[in-house]
Amino acid sequence: MKTNTMGYKVRQYLLFAGVTTAVFLMVVIVPFIYGLYLTMTSWDGVSMNKPFVGLANYVSALADTGYWVSLGRTFIYSAIAVILVNAVAFILAYLVTSGIKGQNFFRAGFFIPNLIGGIVLGYVWKFVFNKALVSLGEAITQGNVKSLLATETGAIIALIIVSVWQYAGYMMLIYVAGFMSVPDEVIEAAKIDGCTGTQSIIHISIPLMTSSFVQCIFLSITRCFMVYDVNLSLTNGDPYGSSALAAMHVYNEAFINKDYGTGQAEALILFIICAVIGGIQVYVGKKGEVQA
Amino acid sequence: MKKKMVSLMMVAAMALSLTACGSTSSSDADSSSEAAESTDEADADAEPAESTGVSITILNSKTEIQTQFEEMAEAYTASTGVEVEVYNADTDTTVASQVATRYASNDPYTITMVDAKDIYSLADDYAYDLSSEEWAANTDLSITVNDKLAGFPFCVEARGVIYNADAIEAITGETFDPSSVATLDDFQALLDTLVAGGMEQPVGILSEYWSLGAHYFSEVYEQQADPDAFVNGLLAGTEDLEGNEKFNELMDTFDTLIAYNYAKGSASNADREETSMKLAQGDIAFMFGGNWDWSVINQYDYTENMGIMPVPENTSDDTNTKLVGGGSKYMFVDSSDNTTDEERQAALDFLNWLVFDEAGNSFLTVDCALVPAFSNIDASALDPLSASVKSYADAGALIANYNYLPDDHMTVVGQEIMQKYLDEAMTRSELATAVTEYFKTATPIEH
Repeated sequence: MKTNTMGYKVRQYLLFAGVTTAVFLMVVIVPFIYGLYLTMTSWDGVSMNKPFVGLANYVSALADTGYWVSLGRTFIYSAIAVILVNAVAFILAYLVTSGIKGQNFFRAGFFIPNLIGGIVLGYVWKFVFNKALVSLGEAITQGNVKSLLATETGAIIALIIVSVWQYAGYMMLIYVAGFMSVPDEVIEAAKIDGCTGTQSIIHISIPLMTSSFVQCIFLSITRCFMVYDVNLSLTNGDPYGSSALAAMHVYNEAFINKDYGTGQAEALILFIICAVIGGIQVYVGKKGEVQA
Repeated sequence: MKKKMVSLMMVAAMALSLTACGSTSSSDADSSSEAAESTDEADADAEPAESTGVSITILNSKTEIQTQFEEMAEAYTASTGVEVEVYNADTDTTVASQVATRYASNDPYTITMVDAKDIYSLADDYAYDLSSEEWAANTDLSITVNDKLAGFPFCVEARGVIYNADAIEAITGETFDPSSVATLDDFQALLDTLVAGGMEQPVGILSEYWSLGAHYFSEVYEQQADPDAFVNGLLAGTEDLEGNEKFNELMDTFDTLIAYNYAKGSASNADREETSMKLAQGDIAFMFGGNWDWSVINQYDYTENMGIMPVPENTSDDTNTKLVGGGSKYMFVDSSDNTTDEERQAALDFLNWLVFDEAGNSFLTVDCALVPAFSNIDASALDPLSASVKSYADAGALIANYNYLPDDHMTVVGQEIMQKYLDEAMTRSELATAVTEYFKTATPIEH
């Protein structure tokens, strides 16, 4: 049997990857292209006719100050959350690979928040912020304490805290794998050469773990930019719509304000921004990778 | 060759698991009515009717009555032979988007329950003309769009200030008569009495944007002599909101509510459950809301001695003697080719059953505790809040809902503006300016 003809290759491809390719086309590529088309209509989300309006939706998306404000807010939120998530995850990973007693238990414990769905998690934390922390604060200060969620910056801080709590455990697992992949003999050699513990982390482990950093930062950036569920259940934009992040603004625009076309255009802009930032980060990160 | 077989089998296993996942989830979604199949005592003695083979689907967007709906569907099937499948609207997405999904997949519900506003956007394309139905004469709350009677009014809902008479009477020692506090001055005097009597913060205000934007602030438009002209004036930028009498009267009352709010300080963060609980238990005496709030209040240790009264106002007109409300949740019957004539007839029969059959009536008023929109239906079994609404409705003391506010009114005015005002982070004139500015850029609803 000839194995280098075009027909053979196509058959082999279809045989092994045909189903997945078809599913991928159906649930990712086709909706994406259809979504692109919808950005050029003034569809309200339910009606049968979708009047073609060209680029008008992009113009109104550019003119929608609420969108840019929420996007700016998303940048700030993401920047802080990404740094904290990775810092916390890295420290946790270091601790649970350092051979402390019951480290498998700790690994599972830190990972569990990630298994709770974003909606549930938001409601749980809402209770913590609004009730538990307020009661605690009132007991300590003997006065009236305002919930963190009731202030404009407080609500964003609360979102960041919850995101860090949720994602740190997941990223920790990737960093744990990174730590494990650093060969023991390299660390040993460094020790013999007189490296202290901190020095061997900074100069040996971290450079050898670059691929873990690239992955974790990429995952946390994309997740933070697209966050919706925690945003919905924890703050729902309160107070005064000051904690509505970009994805929530897009959803409200499309489905509550029934301006589907503009919402879709804004979603596309969000996607492009997110893809560009993620792409640059991966490109730069990959360049910095070193081999042992 | 062996290797190839192994990898082929793995591919097959993966594909199988994919399809398996897909099929279970879709059958899960379809089984909402089957879940209610446990035998009910009520239909045990009913004579099971021959199955007609016709089945209709209903989207229920009043999610709090889903259980009652499913039980009713089963009893209805038993007595008429028509299969009824009831779908519960997802609470995490809008009803409109859910309806859109079904239409996009050419599988619409036979009967769809939506809000009044949605009827206007859906009627032209999808609604069947119901004007020749017998029940049409028994209500003046149905919705007609372009000469087509499209919306069947499922129930009446109205809003005002909910009071807990027990809590008030415990302090004043007199029987509470809501009409005695129709003016803001009298209302304020009563609040002061309550405070002096030991109830430090007698008022609750829901901080949800729909309550602030679509329920309270919209009364500013609804209480105008001509709401349409007023809103159009705002859209055109010709109306002076800050100098408007109704705006100031309602905001005066709102200021008073804010001043006595139990959640003062973190008002924009008040929890709906907690506020309703406090009202039910008499920790607070008043809460702005509507008869739908009963479903939350009755979860707690409540008293039957409650009711809804109009929003108190120092006013020269009679708006402080009326609740604001009307038909709520409308049903429309699908007119597209995806529904057969038999199915459509079954749907029409079902609507008739709701209005003219005793079992249908008791489903509405007893099982679901809703205020019926039809004059022929007896509604003596209602909860206290609905009974209040019914008495105002019967007396013709309802100010109609205004259904043509721009779509983003609720999020912008309710959340971004009114929540700030509720938190006292904005003055009255800033509020008026912000709303005026909003209307300048808002997209009007065609009607």
